[in-house]
Amino acid sequence: MNKKAFGNKLVASPYIVWSAIFIVVPLIIMVYFSLTDQNGAFTLANISDIGKYKKAFGISILYAAVATLITLVLAYPMAYFMTKLNISSQRMLFMIVMIPMWMNFLIRTYSWITILANTGLINTFLSKLGLGPLRLINTPGAVILGMVYDFIPYMILPLYSVMSKLDKSLLEAAEDLGSDAFTKFRRVLFPLSKPGMISGITMVFVPSVSTFYISQKLGGNKTMLIGDTIEYFFNLGPTYYNIASAISLVLMVMILVCLFIMNRCGGNDEDGGVLM
Amino acid sequence: MEKENIVELKNISVAFDGEQVLDGLNLDIVDGEFITLLGPSGCGKTTTLRLIAGFLEPDTGDVLFEGKKINGVPAYKRQVNTIFQRYALFPHLNVYENIAFGLRVKKRPESEIKEKVAEMLKLVNLTGLEKRHTDTLSGGQQQRVAIARAIANHPKVLLLDEPLAALDLKLRKDMQKELKKIQQQLGITFIFVTHDQEEALTMSDRVVVMDSGRIQQVGTPQDIYNEPRNAFVADFIGESNIVDGKMLKDYYVEFSGQKFDCLDKGFAAGESVDVVVRPEDVDIVEPEKGMLKGVVTSVAFLGVHYEIIVDIGGFKWMIQTTDEHFAGDSVGLYIEPDAIHIMKKSEYSGLYGDYSSYSEEIDHLSDAEEEEP
Ligand SMILES: Nc1ncnc2c1ncn2[C@@H]1O[C@H](COP(=O)(O)OP(=O)(O)OP(=O)(O)O)[C@@H](O)[C@H]1O
Ligand SMILES: [Mg+2]
Repeated sequence: MNKKAFGNKLVASPYIVWSAIFIVVPLIIMVYFSLTDQNGAFTLANISDIGKYKKAFGISILYAAVATLITLVLAYPMAYFMTKLNISSQRMLFMIVMIPMWMNFLIRTYSWITILANTGLINTFLSKLGLGPLRLINTPGAVILGMVYDFIPYMILPLYSVMSKLDKSLLEAAEDLGSDAFTKFRRVLFPLSKPGMISGITMVFVPSVSTFYISQKLGGNKTMLIGDTIEYFFNLGPTYYNIASAISLVLMVMILVCLFIMNRCGGNDEDGGVLM
Repeated sequence: MEKENIVELKNISVAFDGEQVLDGLNLDIVDGEFITLLGPSGCGKTTTLRLIAGFLEPDTGDVLFEGKKINGVPAYKRQVNTIFQRYALFPHLNVYENIAFGLRVKKRPESEIKEKVAEMLKLVNLTGLEKRHTDTLSGGQQQRVAIARAIANHPKVLLLDEPLAALDLKLRKDMQKELKKIQQQLGITFIFVTHDQEEALTMSDRVVVMDSGRIQQVGTPQDIYNEPRNAFVADFIGESNIVDGKMLKDYYVEFSGQKFDCLDKGFAAGESVDVVVRPEDVDIVEPEKGMLKGVVTSVAFLGVHYEIIVDIGGFKWMIQTTDEHFAGDSVGLYIEPDAIHIMKKSEYSGLYGDYSSYSEEIDHLSDAEEEEP
């Protein structure tokens, strides 16, 4: 018994060491910097200064929310459609969704510049038709497009995985009991795909709300998201580590609170989608 | 008063990927009857139900409901409900909401729903379990919820796809009685699917025996058992010895090298036929008094009776008797004229009704010991 427990510990130890070094220690460092001044003395000034950046917080949350919503609206029918296909087509589509994820995220974002730029693909094409040029790059739309494009696989995959496990006869049972297509969706498909939606929303919202690269490349300097703000301060040098850490800490706490609320809504829902 | 047909299937054919699954199916189902589709796995029973429910459209042929063609009418508009083989209860809803599902979809007032669900729970003996989640119920309880959920909608026809297959024997017997009771109480037409012949015989007003997408015979359980139309039906329903015979004239047949009186007529003189003799209709007598003589090759004690295999001129007969016999005994068989049933030759002739490989049939579970080369 003891031996076994010891063995388990031994097997888990590399993981524990790994987590300690790369997750716990950085977190402690972050909390330490957030709650101290440049001389290392305890202070809450950094946290109380956060109010100055509420615009960046606001815009980040707004953009991330819009991007997450668009992602959900696009991914949901896509995932459902995938489950309707035969197995080989499903695998094929699954690959098509996965392949962009194997490419570097920075490169994927960068490639949108060549498409959206004033002399980019779209505007070149439009000018050939005697139209344009449209202002595409350096707009909020471009930033949100970048978020949607970069993170949509993280929405499709959990939705697809939940839906493909769903017993098809449940939808038939709903139809048998008088549900038309919309009612089937509302009363059965939607509530039963909720776990997939929740993990999809989480996996899209969290990286969107904290991104800085997408906004810099596709949004110009005009949109300063919270991720950009943090990066900006870190780039200014050690003097600004405290404020940068404080913003990170607040952002992290906000995300954790959101996740907690989301999981509560998903988990304890007694009568599912009846109230919608 | 003559009952009307509630569902009619007219010359229905269905093929999947070029494989014919239903082939020219014709069936009239009478309002209020308990009719059972019986056949081996893959013969097209579920497919037939799906046609009636509206989940599948026939390639050719018509589905009629109360005399009106309903091809193309979507499932949710049909006055038919289904009990799915694996119940398909909604896992996100409790027992109450599962049963209320159809009524909610139809936007019935809350008071009516409450009343109806209570009535259904009482009907299926589940009162008190309203709040339970379906995954905390036993198989039998889930089955009852599925029944209540379907019946709450007042269907004119209830389709049941092997509803009892997942239950253990004892529970299955209880549910058979209960289903039959519910059907009689409510007067709903039940179209029941099973591949258990005993279940079909005990529950049904009429049985439809199917094989390879075709109806082999339709009739009352007694008809099907006593007057099977071909070797497939005779073998599928109960145990049968099926031997080659020749009709000498009306009421007179020859098989196993002997001539017998029988009750069948209407065959051409000299016509080749299949002769069915049920194992329980054969009497074992002294060898010299028997109409046929043979040697016992194996004996199995089944509690109610013995099942013994007798080799008669190389053909193995199964006989059920309450007297004990031993392997190696010489015995005579005595067969009354009314124990003999004559069938026309069919595509199934020669395929069934010989007990040479019987030990394999008894023990589905253990591997066939001696027969395998
Ligand atoms: N959607 C489908 N696509 C392809 N073939 C199908 C489909 N549905 C059924 N079949 C085939 O049609 C035949 C009849 O199927 P069906 O489900 O009606 O059989 P069944 O009599 O209900 O059998 P069981 O007793 O095993 O449930 C089978 O050979 C099956 O493989
Ligand atoms: Mg079936």
